[in-house]
Amino acid sequence: MVGAFDYAPAIVLLPFLSFVLSLTAGKYLPKGGAFGGIAATAGSLILSAWVFLTVSAGNAYNETLYTWAAGVGEGTTTLTFGLLLDPLAAMMLLIVSLVALLVHVFSLGYMNDEGETGLPRYYAGLGLFTASMLGFVVADNLLMAFMFFELVGLCSYLLIGFWFREEGPPSAAKKAFLVTRFGDYFFLVGVVGVFATFGTAKFAGEAAFPVIAEEALAGGAEVTTFGFAPETWFTILGLLILGGVIGKSAQFPLHTWLPDAMEGPTPVSALIHAATMVAAGVYLVARMYGFYALSPTALGIVALVGGFTALFAATMGVVKRDIKQVLAYSTISQYGYMMLGLGAGGYVAATFHLLTHAFFKALLFLGAGAVIIAMHHDEDMWNMGGLKNRMPVTYYTFLSGSLALAGIVPFAGFWSKDEVLYEALIHGLAGSPLLLAGYAMGLVAVFFTGFYTFRMVFLTFHGEPRTETARNPHGVRWNVKGPLVVLGVLAATVGVVNMVPLHDLTGGFPPEYLHDWLAHGELSALTSEHYGELLHDYAGYTSADVASYVAGAVSLALALAGVLTAHVLYNVADPDEHTAKLGAVKTLWYNNYYQDEYQIWIAESFVLPLARLADKFDQGIVDGVVNGVSSVSLFAGNRIRRIQTGVVSNYAVLLTLGLTALLVVFGVLGGWFV
Amino acid sequence: MIIEGLIAATFAASMVVLLAPDRVAGRLAAALSLLPVVGSLYMWSRFDATGNALTGGDPAFETIVPWLELGGYTLNWHVGVDGIGLPLVVLTTILSTLAIVSAWASIDDRQSQFYGLMLFMEANLLGVFTALDFFVWFVFWEAVLLPMYFLIGVWGGPRRKYAAIKFFVYTNIASLAMFIGFIALLFGLGDSVSSLDMPAIAGALRAGELGSLYGISAGTLRAVAFVAMFLGFAVKVPVVPFHTWLPDAHVEAPSPVSVMLAGVLLKMGTYALLRFNFTMLPETATRFAVPIALVAVVSVVYGALLALAQQDLKRIVAYSSVSSMGYVILGLIAYTTYGVGGATFQMIAHGLISGLMFMSVGVMYNTTHTRMVGDMSGMADRMPVTAGIFVAGAFGYMGLPLMAGFAGEFFIFKGAFESTVHAAMPLFTAAAMFGIVIVAGYLLLAMQRTLFGSFRLETDYEVGPAPLHETVPLAVLLVTIIVLGVAPDLFFGMIQDAVDPLLDFGGELS
Amino acid sequence: MVPVEWYLLLAAAVFCIGLFGILTRSNALLFLMSVELMLNAANINLVAFSAYWGNVTGQTFGLFTMALAAAEVAVGIGIILVLYRNFDDVDVTLAKGMRR
Repeated sequence: MVGAFDYAPAIVLLPFLSFVLSLTAGKYLPKGGAFGGIAATAGSLILSAWVFLTVSAGNAYNETLYTWAAGVGEGTTTLTFGLLLDPLAAMMLLIVSLVALLVHVFSLGYMNDEGETGLPRYYAGLGLFTASMLGFVVADNLLMAFMFFELVGLCSYLLIGFWFREEGPPSAAKKAFLVTRFGDYFFLVGVVGVFATFGTAKFAGEAAFPVIAEEALAGGAEVTTFGFAPETWFTILGLLILGGVIGKSAQFPLHTWLPDAMEGPTPVSALIHAATMVAAGVYLVARMYGFYALSPTALGIVALVGGFTALFAATMGVVKRDIKQVLAYSTISQYGYMMLGLGAGGYVAATFHLLTHAFFKALLFLGAGAVIIAMHHDEDMWNMGGLKNRMPVTYYTFLSGSLALAGIVPFAGFWSKDEVLYEALIHGLAGSPLLLAGYAMGLVAVFFTGFYTFRMVFLTFHGEPRTETARNPHGVRWNVKGPLVVLGVLAATVGVVNMVPLHDLTGGFPPEYLHDWLAHGELSALTSEHYGELLHDYAGYTSADVASYVAGAVSLALALAGVLTAHVLYNVADPDEHTAKLGAVKTLWYNNYYQDEYQIWIAESFVLPLARLADKFDQGIVDGVVNGVSSVSLFAGNRIRRIQTGVVSNYAVLLTLGLTALLVVFGVLGGWFV
Repeated sequence: MIIEGLIAATFAASMVVLLAPDRVAGRLAAALSLLPVVGSLYMWSRFDATGNALTGGDPAFETIVPWLELGGYTLNWHVGVDGIGLPLVVLTTILSTLAIVSAWASIDDRQSQFYGLMLFMEANLLGVFTALDFFVWFVFWEAVLLPMYFLIGVWGGPRRKYAAIKFFVYTNIASLAMFIGFIALLFGLGDSVSSLDMPAIAGALRAGELGSLYGISAGTLRAVAFVAMFLGFAVKVPVVPFHTWLPDAHVEAPSPVSVMLAGVLLKMGTYALLRFNFTMLPETATRFAVPIALVAVVSVVYGALLALAQQDLKRIVAYSSVSSMGYVILGLIAYTTYGVGGATFQMIAHGLISGLMFMSVGVMYNTTHTRMVGDMSGMADRMPVTAGIFVAGAFGYMGLPLMAGFAGEFFIFKGAFESTVHAAMPLFTAAAMFGIVIVAGYLLLAMQRTLFGSFRLETDYEVGPAPLHETVPLAVLLVTIIVLGVAPDLFFGMIQDAVDPLLDFGGELS
Repeated sequence: MVPVEWYLLLAAAVFCIGLFGILTRSNALLFLMSVELMLNAANINLVAFSAYWGNVTGQTFGLFTMALAAAEVAVGIGIILVLYRNFDDVDVTLAKGMRR
């Protein structure tokens, strides 16, 4: 039967074709190749929807399609590419292709209408990015995931550095790639380790590595563990792979690249640095959750890193002046929540937050993009103000996204964030102080989130215009407003799929669609049901009995408090900065806890001098020995050469003396003189 | 007969070009060098070897002709290719043609001699990778040095004589050490071999027929010969601390010569290590696993650190070659299919990628007349295509998936991590893998400073895009790299087939 | 028959005269002549031993040496001519440009 799954490879290949087309023939295409990109992503979206429908009918797909390297000889591994389409992947496909399509459309307004040059390169980058991200989503094994993970990083580099003629973007691009590369180093060690341990890196199926790991823990399978206990070794592997996750998902301490990545064009920030690439890390943990669920230590660390990052980034967002910087730190913070959710055993909750965040954060970035167009590429919020009446569509959609981000009922972010916190709370109360600590930090971050989000809204849209540009903003066209409206509606409504507190309160209405969606499936090892069992049996997670609506009310109250504070301080005609009252804390936050400084210090004051030292050593000692040997022989030759006077008679004398000496020696040895 | 035809045709081509007028030499050399390309691709399409040529496998296109008797040993003209030799032959022919085309723009005196020497070198390189008799192999091996010496010494930069002599003397002394080591083994074998045939010698050594020599026990002899041969080849590879001739040679050599030097000549060292040390003395190799793995790790990390400190683009790529060759050593010592096979694949991948890097540096140098990172900036503004290819090549060097470099490195890492030659191999592997971070560091830094930012170079002429004949070789290389990255099995299958028999030597692998 | 020792003594004497000439003179022509003397001393030995053993190999070698000596003289005279052209003299100690 020819169904959606047979066309699934085209989901990845269509944007790739758009990349090739823009790269080779972009100059000759209208709009620099934009239409090709739009058509390709629209095609991907339609196919993704078809796959989604097919999956929702209870089907799943897990096939190897291409042999990358066939292992010869006994006991080797064959490295393959394949597709894994299960509910999680189908959902992610929809998110990625939808956001990619909207971003392509938005780019018409942001890039083409603004008369940028180098558009073929831009659309080629977007196409390749979309293709790699979709490839990552459908990957059926860890190696393929790693490969597309890296390609995503390349696209991020190319797009952040799009304006390469300036000084800032290339530097930011370099930093983004390098910092994520540092994380990917651990990831690659993890991939290699997984191969060495299990002999396979497949996510799903009979011989999938999480399955083998589970059997090994249960004593049913033999794996190479390099002298460690299986539990310890699996934890080590999990943490190694987590390195890549921390890099890509911008978690502490590898988050420093993301704020700098805002040097790229704003649609790119929306696509890559909010909705998709950064999501790759979290998605990876979700993808191999069956492996993480076996190790309580790894889960605890995931949760702690997530909770800490959520709070840590939220505080920095409070003092930023640049609208994109606020959004950048909010992104880091929100991914912290997802990590907290995953670490706390809330697989569905984290996935849910991934879904809602993709929509509302893409919306906010695109909204910010619209504001930036209007402000003639000025991003400082203190130069804005009063844009509400001048650009109503942008305002109301942006408000929808902000309410979702702040977590105000009934917008999408409320339902997902509160479920994450709820999961952390119930599993934490049942005896895990790590999770409780994560919960506490996440809860405090809720207040800050509400505050910085609405500080941004009030400064940008409310009050009186503070500059001439803000008084007469540049208009935007349908291609900007269209994507904003679509995402604005989604940000307001997508929470419907999983309203847990309401469900509990009303005793079963509305159904928890997402829970049901992820709980079952043909690939039973990849369902939240199975993960729940693993968490219970191997990680020892149990739940305390707390009503979900109580927990939701607490965080809603905190979020509202944050919004209210922002309202009091900044929703006035002519707001003050107010940050001076924070004193030293303000400096600390404004300088991002000096995280950049120490990383730059490591790079510039440690590694570079070390390299120079190595160079000196190499030139002086290693090469010095080589040159020394040669100069010794040169010197010796120079001395011995002196007997070569050039006078033939002297040579004759030497010859004669030599002959005589030889004769004497022979004579003595031969005994002629005895 | 096709191998002889290939070598003879290349020799003949070199003579024709040597006698041709300077005006047409470049075009003629490129046209004639297509012949070996076609030949090697034909060999690839008709390749039917099984197993490893040295351990009883059946090489393709094999010929054995008795040649002469010397001191009780028969010398045969014995050539043939197996899964290890053929990829290198293809690499040599393709890279030679591209290097010749890329030289059109930069070589403007004594062209006929230049291109003649390039072809002469190619012929000898083909001999090195196909010879299966030690005498034949050694003649080709030494004969490669001569054209290289002249290519650096005549057409090189300001310090060309220093660099050329250093290269020649250093590698020649190394050859001496290797030769002594090998001959000691040969004498130690005594009557069990009667020819210099490499399969026969390898078979006898692997069967443990080495006797004592002048009162030195077989075990000691094996260890000493291993070390001597390892040192000899290590200079060629080069392995830290025998690498210092390489940056000097690269900096002084004209770019097309650098392409050949990094792309093919370095592979002679690793190829010979694989053919001699790791094939003929596997037990000894595994006994020395820790020092060899250590040398590999040091080469990777130290070479990468050195590259980080350089200001000259060619020096950067030269030191990064040291780093990449370290991976090859790591793969060889792993003694797993993926490790040794990956090492062989990495030879091809690194040959193509470093060739691409040197070539694109050369293209920029031809236009700007500088290679210093500090002097250039914003090159992407003026030479977008070249800059784009440079970026692609740099990412290839960093091991971007779906490019050949990643395949090679990943195979090596995988093979080395699961290696059983020593319990600490996973740790060595993890340490060597950190090279992928440093390589990203220095290449990204170099790209940021040379390609991006505003264009600042002050010249009294217009800096513009490179002509087509400079861009085409770059594009061809890039496409080859991507094709091999997407489908490594084009070569990796035959490589594994040739590597697999090496691993089974009956020795104790703890 | 003259005993072989006599020939050897003669050869040694001729050889020493030639050697003496080379060591003490700096005139290239005298040099050449002294070299001829030494060659002929060797020839005497060859022929003497040939006669002593009744073996013609030595005499064959003697003939070879004579041919060689003739060639050597030809080259030598050429060198002397060049020497004279460059230095206006045939003093061998003048020509020491090859020293560096």
